[in-house]
Amino acid sequence: MTAALELRGLCKSYPLRDPNGWLPRYRELRVVRDVDLTVESNSIVGLVGESGSGKTTTGMMALRLTEPTAGRILVGGQDITRMEAAALKPFRAKMQVVFQDSYSALDPMFTLAQIVAEPLHVHGRGSAREQTETALDWLERVGLHRSYGSRYPHELSGGQRQRVAIARALVLRPDVLIADEPTSALDVSVKAQIINLLQDLQAEMGLSILFISHDLSVVRSLTDKVAVMFNGRIVEEAATEDIFIRPQHPYTRSLLDAIPVLNPRDRRDRVFRSREDLEADIPRLSAVATGLPPAPTPRLIPHGPGHRYEALVQ
Amino acid sequence: MTDLTTLPGAVPDHRQRSPLHFAWRRFVANKAAVVGGAVLILLILMAVFAPLITKSPPTAQDFLGEALAFPSAGHWFGVDDLGRDFFSRIVYGARVSLSIGFSAAVFSVLIGIPLGALAGYYEGRIDWIVMRIIEIFSVVPPLLAAMLLGALVGGGYWMIIFIAGLFGWVQVCLLVRAQIKAFKEKEFVRAAQALGASPGYIIRRHLIPNSVSPIIVGFVLAIPLAMMLEASLSFLGVGVPPPTPSWGQMINTGMSFMYFYWHLAVFPTLALAVTVMATTLFGDGLRDALDPTLKGK
Amino acid sequence: MIPFILRRLFSVSVTFVIVSILIFTMMHSIPGGPFDAGDMPLPPEVRARLNERYGLDQSLVTQYINYMGGVLRFDFGIPFQSPGETVLELLGRAWVPSLVLGGLGVLIGTPLGILLGIAAALRRNTWIDYLASAVATLGLTIPVFVTSMIMILVFAVWLNWVPASGWGAPDKWILPIAAYATIPMATYARYTRSAMLDTLNKPFVTVLRAKGLSETRIIYQHVLRNSAIPMVTVFLPMFIGTATGSIFVEAIFRVPGLGAYFVSSIRTRDYPLEMALMLMLTVMFCLAYLISDILYAWLNPRIRAGGRKG
Repeated sequence: MTAALELRGLCKSYPLRDPNGWLPRYRELRVVRDVDLTVESNSIVGLVGESGSGKTTTGMMALRLTEPTAGRILVGGQDITRMEAAALKPFRAKMQVVFQDSYSALDPMFTLAQIVAEPLHVHGRGSAREQTETALDWLERVGLHRSYGSRYPHELSGGQRQRVAIARALVLRPDVLIADEPTSALDVSVKAQIINLLQDLQAEMGLSILFISHDLSVVRSLTDKVAVMFNGRIVEEAATEDIFIRPQHPYTRSLLDAIPVLNPRDRRDRVFRSREDLEADIPRLSAVATGLPPAPTPRLIPHGPGHRYEALVQ
Repeated sequence: MTDLTTLPGAVPDHRQRSPLHFAWRRFVANKAAVVGGAVLILLILMAVFAPLITKSPPTAQDFLGEALAFPSAGHWFGVDDLGRDFFSRIVYGARVSLSIGFSAAVFSVLIGIPLGALAGYYEGRIDWIVMRIIEIFSVVPPLLAAMLLGALVGGGYWMIIFIAGLFGWVQVCLLVRAQIKAFKEKEFVRAAQALGASPGYIIRRHLIPNSVSPIIVGFVLAIPLAMMLEASLSFLGVGVPPPTPSWGQMINTGMSFMYFYWHLAVFPTLALAVTVMATTLFGDGLRDALDPTLKGK
Repeated sequence: MIPFILRRLFSVSVTFVIVSILIFTMMHSIPGGPFDAGDMPLPPEVRARLNERYGLDQSLVTQYINYMGGVLRFDFGIPFQSPGETVLELLGRAWVPSLVLGGLGVLIGTPLGILLGIAAALRRNTWIDYLASAVATLGLTIPVFVTSMIMILVFAVWLNWVPASGWGAPDKWILPIAAYATIPMATYARYTRSAMLDTLNKPFVTVLRAKGLSETRIIYQHVLRNSAIPMVTVFLPMFIGTATGSIFVEAIFRVPGLGAYFVSSIRTRDYPLEMALMLMLTVMFCLAYLISDILYAWLNPRIRAGGRKG
């Protein structure tokens, strides 16, 4: 069976203009470098990393909301990297998104029914009445009363808005959902509700989810597989339990060490490292930052079944 | 999916309030704006029903024998130098002033919205071109250019609307552009893009509805600008040609008589001042109500 | 900073050339030249000779290049309405009243407006705040010629304190200067007030208060300086407003300044003078635009470092 979403060698770089020059001079800022990632059907994959590591850009590229500089995106085995808007449209219906900021994710001038019905309208599914009916059904399905259909987003709480955003993303019955930190703006109790909702809907619909987050405890409870991003690259990838028990890459280790633990005895062997310290340890990182020519290329090397991490190959 | 439908507060118990409802509440709290709006409505009614509240047409020289007469019970605002009832002239002057103001504002909005939307949504080259055009308009003062244009093509009612619109769109365009630039990075626009909605659809259904506030503000604030432009041009004799009653024109005439026949200068001056003031106060109030972040700008 | 200035200078020069082309084409392409049959009944060969002499038979492009060539040597031609002198001499003469009255008006109006704005912001919702708002709204909305008319009616006609019009004795300057001063006063009263209020509401002012700085020092050392930046941007509209206002002030008070000549050149279709005045004003506005851009960048460290304001 083909994977729901595959990213092959995805890169994104931005030209940076030197502001003080007489003539425009550009440097390249490489935000995402050579990302390979597979989201298998009916599975949840976590993409973790600190802010600025390129995980959101990767998600946006997968959605073709940001154009990749190089690499390929495959949805259900079909290459959509270079597709024109018209050819892409059916694939857009197969891949939807939920954003972090639920407030700006919903058009303030639309009622909730309009918001959830919009995907059906854009894809011309059913009559206007059927679209509204389906939208109200979906509001109910994500735990909001049907009468909320005539309300406006600003009347809702953050958790309720995120439910609406999920309903909008799933109303087209997509195969893939890209969830870009959907819970990081929510209270802990609400967070759990939204996670439960996503889990239930995933199981019911056989959905594949790319779950982008920096919240490792959420990732551990929700995902089947985790990829760790650092400075635009995937530095380690493995089945969730495997990576939490046997992290290989120094960055992954320091990331895991940063999770608060309840039992003081467990804290003994935790190490907190400064970024400088970390960078010295991570293959060739400083060379990339200063734009020096690449020394031996770091590669993802296998470490047991389905577990890869980045290291220098001499 | 079991207990989700019974979440606290899941059943709404109040009627829905659109964002405009809150704008209305803020507007009503602003006394100056409400008074301005009321005066404006009164002026509009006066202009619309002008034939019913005046005793003679504005161009009829029915009272030549009483030319230059001071205000009296028969002629509330007196009689002008050519024997016309001055009250009719002032009332019909409101027609000219307001209709020019509104038409020019419509014209400004019609040019300003599409250009602002295009510049704001596409940025890059289109934005650069639009901004250079605006830069040209901002180093050429509208009044001077209008005088030149008016003098060269001979003024006239429609010409003034055209000129006022030509300079009025800049403000609308900048307001719409700024709003769309701010909104197009929002996640709901990204979500619509992820749905495969076309740029035209996104601009029409999401970005322009979210720009109603700046559009309304731009529209209302373009009205007094156009009225001032008309009055200024007519005052200089390159605006609406006589005998059409225009306040600017009347002020110009009044100037030569003001030492002896004060009413010819006072009434048109007051009429213009009150109308422009009322419209501006109303517009400012609308702006503050619709977009509290713009207050005082 | 220097690359920034040069980039802006280049951009403004391009704007100036485009505007000058627009004005030139507008003035020359509209039907009705100075020697048309309607205006001047001349035999065709005389008209042809006149057109030839003034270069009106050449293509617009040639005429534009010739004209701009002359402008670079300060040769603006001869005004039709006063053929005894050159346009340059006439402008040199007309500058004086405009500069004296306008300059004094700005010099008096600007500090008054700023003071009023500061007072209004510091004493919110008191009589001085309402006064400032009234001055600002009235001054910005009512056309200058209406304010001038009201001043004449009140101070010259009814109270008979000062003469209404003319140029010469300084007592005749009072009303025109007052009329001029309303524009910068209203503009600065409004923008100073809103800029001050903006700054006063910023979190850093709360921090300063919290650390126990005296209110006076907060105002003088922090708030005023931070409010200066937005106020610089008002320079351009204020300048344009005053310059445009001069047309009406001078027409109403019968001052023989640039504004008055602008009006008469338009009434008499005095192309050389009109063109010269338009060009001069455009240069002035372009410079004002440039200066306010540079000042803004200079005062604002965030922009000084890179790019332009967008």
